[in-house]
Amino acid sequence: MNFTSTIWKLGSHLRNVASFHTTPVCKNIQLLTRLRVVDNSEIGKRAMAEGKPPKVIHVYNKRGLGGIGDKVMVAIKGQKKKGILVGLKKVQKPLVPKYDSNNVVLIDDTGTPLGTRIHAPIPTILRTILKSKTHVKGADYTKVLSIATKFV
Amino acid sequence: MRIGLCTYSGYKIYPGHGKTVVRVDGKTFTFLNSKCEAAYHLKRNPRKVTWTVLYRRKYKKGQEEEQTKKHTRRTQKFQRAIVGASLSDIMAKRNMKPEVRKAQREQAIRAAKEQKKTAKAAKKPVKVAPAKKKTAPKTKAAKVTKKATPRVGGKR
Repeated sequence: MNFTSTIWKLGSHLRNVASFHTTPVCKNIQLLTRLRVVDNSEIGKRAMAEGKPPKVIHVYNKRGLGGIGDKVMVAIKGQKKKGILVGLKKVQKPLVPKYDSNNVVLIDDTGTPLGTRIHAPIPTILRTILKSKTHVKGADYTKVLSIATKFV
Repeated sequence: MRIGLCTYSGYKIYPGHGKTVVRVDGKTFTFLNSKCEAAYHLKRNPRKVTWTVLYRRKYKKGQEEEQTKKHTRRTQKFQRAIVGASLSDIMAKRNMKPEVRKAQREQAIRAAKEQKKTAKAAKKPVKVAPAKKKTAPKTKAAKVTKKATPRVGGKR
């Protein structure tokens, strides 16, 4: 019994000579990433219900990879809308929570959200991030936080 | 800084430790370390994992000092009146003094003996006038009643 099992193991090892190393999934927000709309805007609700989630077409970032609190341009139901990333699947910095889905809140150019309420929990780190992005005479991105119901 | 609790193990999470994860349904989970996180993702129920606080709470480990059930229920006993005898009758019988009891017993014995004698005498002259019986009603009545009652202070 023992003899045959060792022969079997040797044989399988010989077969897997060309084994390769793989890296884990990146989970970045980049071009054509599908997002989950977490506010109650009409477009968002309809898109998520239909099963056609918004796709990222531009990340307002030097790197092209979206992080938490970054503004993105999404294509949703044949329209171009802007949004703010409020939750990422990717592992974050120490005090930032990780989500099971990539969440986005739709906004317009002035930073006012298209929906009236966000039912998903929002990371509190967004307060500092969005405030730093907000310029006095530009768009006020912190308005998104005013419609949030729960913070994490 | 707030000291949170690990949702899996129940341990305290001091600042600088732990990881939080938010599920799609909005439920938040904080884990103390990768051990707790891994166990959660392996779908291990913390109520079955021996070292967690949830398990210890469920199986009441280490809580002997707090819980001491020394309240034993005791049923109240009290005298009730029976169909044959009222409460006062029962209490009278119970509280009768031993001398009284003895006197009653002797009386009952004497009455029984007398009755036996009369019974023997009555057998011979069968057709005795009922007037005779009526003339001595007191003694007979007394005898009868005495015999009817059960032994006073006797066996229960």
